Amino acid sequence: MENGTPTQGEGKDPAGFLSEIIGNPVTVKLNSGVVYKGELQSVDGYMNIALEKTDEYVNGVKRRNYGDAFVRGNNVMYISADS
Amino acid sequence: MSQLLPLELIDKCVGSRIWVIMKGDKEFAGTLVGFDDYVNMVLEDVTEFDYSGDHTKLKKILLNGNNICMLIPGGDGPLGAASP
Repeated sequence: MENGTPTQGEGKDPAGFLSEIIGNPVTVKLNSGVVYKGELQSVDGYMNIALEKTDEYVNGVKRRNYGDAFVRGNNVMYISADS
Repeated sequence: MSQLLPLELIDKCVGSRIWVIMKGDKEFAGTLVGFDDYVNMVLEDVTEFDYSGDHTKLKKILLNGNNICMLIPGGDGPLGAASP
């Protein structure tokens, strides 16, 4: 291993995890605490996220829903696989 | 020669429990599945600890490395830690 760069197999590192959960229902939590639940359409290296059939939860209470939603990556705290 | 780089320390933690303390009052404890150069991490069987003392269980998450402050190998969250 050189300069501490991790070497990991498929499905283990962040990129592998993302490709594993594309198309599945996910929970996305933002740094503000707002939660989006929807079907994960795509993610990029900035953690920008495209969701389908999205429900928005503020303080655990459902506020709105969106057919299609784009979340800018800098706001994302985590992406959780729902299944 | 025998120096252990920070990311090598994290690499040694893959497969074991790890405690993640974020900037601000949030903490996560889970099994480290993998991570990248930004220290974005994939965690399994996660407990999320809120500033309010609430905790939430999550099966598998990708945690954004941007707001991570500190990592404690082998740690299992604030409940197991001694506090004054």
